[in-house]
Amino acid sequence: MRLFNFLEIHTLKLFFLTGFLVFNTSLIHSQEAMEDANISISFSDENDSKTIIAKALDQSGLPIEDLELYFFVKRTFSLLPIGDSFNVTDENGLLEVEFPKDLPGDTDGNVIIITKIIESDLYNDFSMETIKNWGIPVILEDPKVEKRSLWAAAANAPITLIICISSMILAVWYIIFYILFKLYKISKITSIQH
Amino acid sequence: MRNSNMKPQLFNSEREKDLLGHLVTTSLKYKLWIAFLLLIIIIGGYAYYRQLTLGLVVTAMRDYTSWGIYISNFVFFVAISLVGSLISSILKLNKNEWAKPLTRVSEIIAVAAIICAAVIIIVDMGRPDRFFYVITHLRIQSPIIWDVIIISTYLIISLLLLYLSLLPDIALCRDRLTTIPKWKKWMYRITAINWTNHPKQIKLLKKVSRVLAITVLPVAFAIHTVTSWLFATTWRPGWDSTNLGPYFVSGAFMAGAAAIIFTMYLMRKHLKLEAYITEYHFDKMGRLLVLLSLVYLYFNINEYLGPAFKMVGVEGEHITELFVGKYAPLYWFVQLGGLVFPIILLIIKPFRKPLPLFIISLFVILGAWIKRFLIVIPSLQHPYLPIQGVDESYLHYNPTWEEWAITLSSFAWLLLIITVLIKLFPVIPIQEKKEESKTVVEQNTLKNETF
Repeated sequence: MRLFNFLEIHTLKLFFLTGFLVFNTSLIHSQEAMEDANISISFSDENDSKTIIAKALDQSGLPIEDLELYFFVKRTFSLLPIGDSFNVTDENGLLEVEFPKDLPGDTDGNVIIITKIIESDLYNDFSMETIKNWGIPVILEDPKVEKRSLWAAAANAPITLIICISSMILAVWYIIFYILFKLYKISKITSIQH
Repeated sequence: MRNSNMKPQLFNSEREKDLLGHLVTTSLKYKLWIAFLLLIIIIGGYAYYRQLTLGLVVTAMRDYTSWGIYISNFVFFVAISLVGSLISSILKLNKNEWAKPLTRVSEIIAVAAIICAAVIIIVDMGRPDRFFYVITHLRIQSPIIWDVIIISTYLIISLLLLYLSLLPDIALCRDRLTTIPKWKKWMYRITAINWTNHPKQIKLLKKVSRVLAITVLPVAFAIHTVTSWLFATTWRPGWDSTNLGPYFVSGAFMAGAAAIIFTMYLMRKHLKLEAYITEYHFDKMGRLLVLLSLVYLYFNINEYLGPAFKMVGVEGEHITELFVGKYAPLYWFVQLGGLVFPIILLIIKPFRKPLPLFIISLFVILGAWIKRFLIVIPSLQHPYLPIQGVDESYLHYNPTWEEWAITLSSFAWLLLIITVLIKLFPVIPIQEKKEESKTVVEQNTLKNETF
C-alpha cells in the first residue's frame, strides 16, 4: 500500500513537471513567433459623426482579424479611453471607433489620439500618437482680464480687499514705527543732557 | 560669576529689595524647575526630529482630521496672548488702578503665548522649510495670510507693550544691581536706552504708552477674530457660524484672566510678593473672571442653541456627537467644570481667596484647552461631503505620543519664557508712583517707602 502511494505521488509529480515544461516551451515558441502588426489610422467625418478607422495588417500584408486595439485621448493627467470596452478588427483587418463630440482640445481644437496594442498573444505591444483637429477649442482666460474675486489668482484680488487690508496694516505699522521713533528720541534726550 | 568677596547687593528701599531681590539670587528650586522644563523640551525636540525626518505620518492627522492638537494648541495660545490687551489696555484705559501690579505679568504671558502660537503653526507644517513661500507667494484673499500678518504684528505690539512698561525699571536695574554678572549688566545697559527719568523722557513714554494701549485693543480683537475666521471661512459643521468671532474673543479673555490668576498665585508664593499681590487682587480677578465667563457663557449658548434646536443633517450629527456621543464627557467637562461651576463658585466670596481661585482657574484653563480641541477635531470628522471608501484610521483621531510630546514641550516653552522673563525683569512695576491699590496702602506695607 505504501509502495503504491509512493509510486502514485511520484507519477503525479512527473506528470505536472512534464506539463509545466511543455507549457513553457510552447510559450517560448509563441513569443518567438510574435511579430509587429502594421496599424494605420484614417479618419472619417461624415454625417455629423466622427469615426476613427484603424486597419491592421501583418508583416506579409494580410489583414489581421480579431486583433484587439485600444484607443485613448491624451488628457492633462492621464489617458481617456474611447470606443467600446473591447474593440476588435473584422475579417478585413478594419475597426471603426466613434470619437466623442464633446471632448475639449487645445486652443486650436487639436487632440492627441493614441492607438495601442496591449498584451496581445500574437503581436508585439504597439503605441501610436496621432494629432487630429476634432476637439472643441478651449478658450483660455487671459490672467490679465480674469475677473477680480476671492477665488482669482493672487494678482487679481478684489481691490476693496486689498485697500482694506493694506490700510489696516499700514495704520498699525505706522504706529509701531512711530513708537520706535519716539523710543529713539527718548534715548537721545539723555545724551543731550549729558 | 559672582565673587564671594563681593559686597552684598544694597537696595534703596524695602520695595526695591522685595521686587528686585529675585533678580540677584538664584534658588535651587528655580534651577530644578528650569531643568524640568528643559527635559520636557528635549523630549519634545526628539519627537519633532522624528516628525521632521519621517514626516507628518508620525502624527494621527490624516485626510479628514488634518488639524489636530497642534492647531487646538495654537488657538489656545492665541487666546491666552489676548490677556496682555485685557489688563494693559482695557483695564488701564478704564483707570482700574488695582490692576497695575498685574500689568507686567499679563504682558509677559502675552509675549510668551504669542511666540508659542507662532512656532506651533510652523510645527504643524509638514514642510517647514517652505514657510516663506507663504510670504513670497502671498495671496491676500487667504485668511491664513491674514493670520500670518496679524500674528507677526501682534507679536511686535506685545513686545513693545512689555518693553514700554519695563523701560524705567530696566534703568533702575542698570543703576541699582551691582552684584549681577557682566552679561546682565550689559543687557540692562543696552535695553535701558539711556533712560534717566528725565521729565521729557517720562512725558514721551507716557504719550507712546497711551498710543500703544489704544492700538493694541483693535489688534488684539483682530488677532483672535481672524483666527476664528480660519474656521468660519471653512465649510464644516460647527464652524459655519457668524457667532465665531465674538465667541473666540470672549473665550480668550476668560482663558487669559485664568492664566493671570494661575501665574500671579505661583509668583506671589515663590517670589514672596504677598504684600504686593494681595487677597484684594485675587478677589478683583475672581470678579473679573466671573464677568468674562458670563459673557463667554452667553456666546456659548448662542453657538449651540440654534444648531441643537434644528438638528439639520451633518450639523445635527456634530451636535449629537458633542452632547451625547463620544465627545460628550469632554464637552460636559468643559461646559460645566470649566464654565458653569466656576461662575457659580466665584460668585461666593470665600472662593475668591487665593488658593480656591487658583484651583478654579486651573479648571478654567484646562477647560479652555479642551474646548479648543472640541472646536477643531469633531468638526473635521463631519465633512458635508460624505466620507466614502477610506481607511478606518481616517475616521478617528487619537493623537500619537509625538504629538503629545511636542504639545507638552510647547507648554514647557511657554512656562520657560515666562520664568526667564520673570527672572530677568522686575515682575511688578517699581517706579510708578500711584500703582498701589487702596487696599495695599491700607495694609501699610509700603507706607514708609519713598519713590
